[in-house]
Amino acid sequence: MTIGAGSRHAVLLDDGLDDAARRAVGGKGRAVSEMVALGLPVPPAFCVTSEWSDETPSELVDRLWQDVLGGLKLLEERTGRVFGAGPRPLLLSVRSSGVTSMPGMLETVLNVGVDDAVVTALGEEYSVAFAEDTRERFRRGYRRAVGADAPDGPLAQLRGAVDAVASSWSSARVDAYRAHRGIERGGIAILLQAMVFGNLDARSGTGVLFTRDPTTGASAPFGEWLPAAQGDDVVSGTSDCEPLSAMRTSLPDVYDELIAAGVRLELLGGDVQDVEFTVEAGKLWLLQSRVAQRSPHAALRLALAFRDEGLVDDAGVIDRVTPEQLATILAVRSAPAGPPLATGVAACPGIASGLVCTTSDDAIAAADEGRDVILVRPTTSPDDVAGIMAANGVVTEVGGASSHAAIVARELGIPAVVGCGVGLTASLAGQVITVDGDAGEVRLGESASTVSMLSPELSRFADIVRAAVPDAVGDLPALHLAARAARP
Amino acid sequence: MSADELALLQTVRLKGRVARAELTGPVDECVAAGSLVDAPMVRLTDAGRSTLAELLAAERATVDRDAADRVYDRFLLVNAAVKPLISQWQLTRDAAGPDEVTAVLDQLAELHRQVLPVIGEASGLVERLGSYADRLDAALRRARDGDMSWLTRPMVDSYHTVWFELHEELIGLAGRTRATEAESGSGG
Repeated sequence: MTIGAGSRHAVLLDDGLDDAARRAVGGKGRAVSEMVALGLPVPPAFCVTSEWSDETPSELVDRLWQDVLGGLKLLEERTGRVFGAGPRPLLLSVRSSGVTSMPGMLETVLNVGVDDAVVTALGEEYSVAFAEDTRERFRRGYRRAVGADAPDGPLAQLRGAVDAVASSWSSARVDAYRAHRGIERGGIAILLQAMVFGNLDARSGTGVLFTRDPTTGASAPFGEWLPAAQGDDVVSGTSDCEPLSAMRTSLPDVYDELIAAGVRLELLGGDVQDVEFTVEAGKLWLLQSRVAQRSPHAALRLALAFRDEGLVDDAGVIDRVTPEQLATILAVRSAPAGPPLATGVAACPGIASGLVCTTSDDAIAAADEGRDVILVRPTTSPDDVAGIMAANGVVTEVGGASSHAAIVARELGIPAVVGCGVGLTASLAGQVITVDGDAGEVRLGESASTVSMLSPELSRFADIVRAAVPDAVGDLPALHLAARAARP
Repeated sequence: MSADELALLQTVRLKGRVARAELTGPVDECVAAGSLVDAPMVRLTDAGRSTLAELLAAERATVDRDAADRVYDRFLLVNAAVKPLISQWQLTRDAAGPDEVTAVLDQLAELHRQVLPVIGEASGLVERLGSYADRLDAALRRARDGDMSWLTRPMVDSYHTVWFELHEELIGLAGRTRATEAESGSGG
């Protein structure tokens, strides 16, 4: 429904949005309304939306401000709380809700609407520690998003937060990203939602649920849980998250409700979901749900699992594995048998073989002659970067997964095993070795290609692709492209 | 001349090979002196390495050892957070949405703020090191402008490229070597 007499700019995120409203409220707004329509617990929320003309962000917000206040009144009715005043104050989260998500357009301001009186009221309603923590979180988050100290008045805070989100839609970096990706500026949508508090007490927290494992593709829930915290703690990595199983132990009923909600969202979306949630004093609230990103192997496994469950057909399987993902899956090589010469930290995955060179100059010279080279160094310094670039694989004696050598190798996609132990370099000089960046092992001899040995999953995928284009010829990547081109 | 020569030779050393056209300073003089290979892609000769080692030793001799140690130790504190942050970003970026991008940029900006006074102290000891602040600033700004490859891409002045070089400079300033640092767990 829309809010206010004659207003077309504020949309309450209820069930039953029409098509125009669904488009206008952006990705986050749409997800919220869909969760409401499923009857899932979602904090009340509305979007202010507008086409965007030549006006400045501030002029735009001036124009939308009555809609913001109208929506706020409705949230107050829904929650039985009052923005900026006790005894039961309403706090807001303010987020952008883009049609396409993009870096830079991220300004989220949480805990908006907290002044001295509100802190006092929150302290009486819950606890003084919670009230102070929430105010501190607000000030920190506001400063980060807006770039200035938060004003004292709740309405001024709200205006500042909405201004920041609107400005982020027109910042230089967002414009650059849009130009880069060919995305039009289009309309603007700002999501305002009643706060729920993962930092309230020991039976509160925040986390993210993947309805299936996005790394392995296993059909089991996967996720992270951060007790007594708010969502920005998870994203900013300032705290150590626990696996979701920790929540199952501490809050079994809430866990079951979350998993059941995930199943329904997955069915609705027809794909694996990445669900943000908060638990406030033992009560589950869902904040966001979107299709989850996944690894190439997970994409294949999940496409087949969804087919087995009757959720997608053969065309869906072909669609859900991209050509790039298939190439990664096929590019598997296997290390030679035999005991490893050395083991270390697997710093960049993949398998590569070549002649050991122990200086970057030697590696560059050998690579210039057309040799496959493995650079083996005690440790690396900046002048070794050129040697790493010339090499097919990298081995170091000292250093961990965050060492400079690991960072550079990872950036170049070069298999690397680091921290193999002091003294290794001299013993490997001149040999042909294989670096197994998945297992963290170094072996004598060359690797073998295993493209011909299809995994059971890859075989099934190949059968599905062949059946889709029975007259086409070529290898699996070619048939896959043909099948994708033949889609209706 | 010797300050320019030192800066030039050190730049070439840290980058391994550099397009001659991209270099500033006494390039022709260093080629004539036999310190640099006479080619479109310039690198140090063995004689150039010796010259550079002498120039660096002379530079270090003017510096208070304790002060250099303090600068390096302060750098290591920030380094211990920067490298895992960059590593973690590499491992998760394929699945990263805008929130994750912002989070990593915000964290790096915070660490950047922490390292600037360290570079300030280093440039108080050796003036040329002050340029690392500008180079890190530039890389962070380009990443913030939307091109995240400026965090990690090798062979250009990405944040990690400059950081790696700064680390090497401070190891040298403190009179240590990467091998001894690696064994103590700080150099990898």
